[in-house]
Amino acid sequence: MKHKTLLTIASLLFTQLFVSSALAHHSFSAEFDIDKPISLSGKVTRMQWSNPHGWIYIDVENEDGSLTNWALETSAANNLIRRGWKRTHLVAGTVIQVQGFQARNGSNTANIRGIVLEDGSRLFSGNADELSK
Amino acid sequence: MKNRCFPGLSLLLACLALLPLTTFAQEIPRTDAGLPLLQGIWQAQTRAAYNLEDHVARTDMQAGTSVVLGGSIPYRNSALARRQNNFENRAELDPLNKCFLPGPTRIMAMPFPFQIFQNDEHVAITFEWTQVYRLIYTAGQEHLYPGFEFWMGDARGQWEGDTLVVEINDLNDRTWLDAAGNYHSLAAHITERYTLVDENTINYQATIDDPEIFSEPWTIEFPLVRQTEMKRLLEYQCQAEAEEANGAFEKVDNLWYPAPVPEGNTPFDSNAANELPLPEVISEINRLEDGTPDISGYFTSDAGGANYGLELRENLALFPPARGVVVDPADGILPYQTWARAEQIERREAWRGYDDPTAHCFVAGIPRSHYVPSPFYILQTPGYVVILHERMSYRVIPLDGREHLPDSIRLWMGDAVGHWDGDTLVVESSNYNGKAWLNELGDVISHAQTVVESYTPVSDTQIIYRATVSDPIVYSRPWTIEMPLNQQAEELLEVACLEDNNDLEHLRDVRDEHRAQMQ
Repeated sequence: MKHKTLLTIASLLFTQLFVSSALAHHSFSAEFDIDKPISLSGKVTRMQWSNPHGWIYIDVENEDGSLTNWALETSAANNLIRRGWKRTHLVAGTVIQVQGFQARNGSNTANIRGIVLEDGSRLFSGNADELSK
Repeated sequence: MKNRCFPGLSLLLACLALLPLTTFAQEIPRTDAGLPLLQGIWQAQTRAAYNLEDHVARTDMQAGTSVVLGGSIPYRNSALARRQNNFENRAELDPLNKCFLPGPTRIMAMPFPFQIFQNDEHVAITFEWTQVYRLIYTAGQEHLYPGFEFWMGDARGQWEGDTLVVEINDLNDRTWLDAAGNYHSLAAHITERYTLVDENTINYQATIDDPEIFSEPWTIEFPLVRQTEMKRLLEYQCQAEAEEANGAFEKVDNLWYPAPVPEGNTPFDSNAANELPLPEVISEINRLEDGTPDISGYFTSDAGGANYGLELRENLALFPPARGVVVDPADGILPYQTWARAEQIERREAWRGYDDPTAHCFVAGIPRSHYVPSPFYILQTPGYVVILHERMSYRVIPLDGREHLPDSIRLWMGDAVGHWDGDTLVVESSNYNGKAWLNELGDVISHAQTVVESYTPVSDTQIIYRATVSDPIVYSRPWTIEMPLNQQAEELLEVACLEDNNDLEHLRDVRDEHRAQMQ
């Protein structure tokens, strides 16, 4: 059952991230740095259902054991809703790995390009080229 | 004293008041189906936007009497402290002071006009305040995405006799009910009642049911008065005005009104568009009863990345590629003047991303509203085509052949006038303010732009959209873009952009860092 749920989430995430640029209201290129690709792993602390972008917040454990909270920008909540997301998806505590590009201003913010769930399912593996198709 | 002088008048008025409303029912405007016709420009006659209850004047509010039936709001004791805190700290806490969406009942009471459009399936209300609109589904349409909250809620209406009854659900808990801090929770459910009591007056009622905050449901009531002298709404862009005033959105002298326009400019120079063959009709199109094409419905544009560049372009950093939608000139290259091309190239730099108005959540302008990656809804009502953009802006296109606004009145979305040419809706627009960008890449437009657009239905699910833009400040000749608009069975959701716009501060940081390096 759990596996089935994860697969559902995986397919939803894949679909939504694949069109992550939809509903974009600002220049990704201006805000995020193609020369700052990042990979993070952590526990979801909050999912914000907002437009023009949704935000996933995760706690990432540092080497000294402290936690850093990262803000991960997704597509618009409306996109997630239309693609079948429910409030029960990606609840607090879910462990995820993400790939993306960090904000140019150096804050703990990233536009995510890929997510891997705890069971190893790869939800999305792409790059900015594919986002516009 | 009055009664002693005119003893018969009070009696007469009392008798008139007792007459059933149906006595006057024949005098109100009605649709062909016999329903009351609410269409028109209206404004609330009330002080309720300041405070729904009795209140004395303050520096930030006019005095007024209560619009709450029974006089006061039945708060639970446990909920009163928050209202008091809201009131005392309203300058800081009132969401409206941040230009956030006001919620469905508060916006009805605000001192700004609004226009109602009505057909068999919808009632749409477009507000002058910040291009906000409400779309009320009135034909029993299923709500496709229950369970998510919206600032303006989800509204479903039905006619009960001559009263439009609207049930509003899925409200978030971030709006206030007035400027005095009256508030509600996620449990709120609102029932509105719109009753046209005479040609120029709607009696507006709203019952707020929120058992977490109030001990019982309560009702507000005030009149909406037809603005008989007003031919069209203008614009009040709350956040844009605030940011222009505080310097967060900087003026561009050579593009914004009233930058000088080269002599010899011919507005609506659509020769280029006229030389293009009409789009080929693929299959039978939908029509209204009178034979006019029916182009109403939910649409998304097949824009080929036009929001990232109108010309053909491969990847550029994190800019997605663009298919190229310019059909005239034939080479697909925009006929920029030299200085304007240099400006467009500079806008690709990261530090210029902050300058794109849509990054600030301002409206996209024309033609960009058609190809921002966000759906829209086209409504047709007698005399109008109305386009409701999910990204919270709208466009009213009157079909009565009226003249354009005076030259000195300038708008983000321009002033549009339309007419049917065969099966094509042709729209001419002018009176732009020159503040928009044509896309995220930074294609340039000025206040001198005039646009001739055509919406040609080529099947029952597709419209071919063209826009011919003339702008003698920026370009050496007019140019035309073209893209299909595809219809599907969907409903509009809400994009409350400004309210959760985390991106702008990042873009500002990039700009400020660049400026610091340049010094």
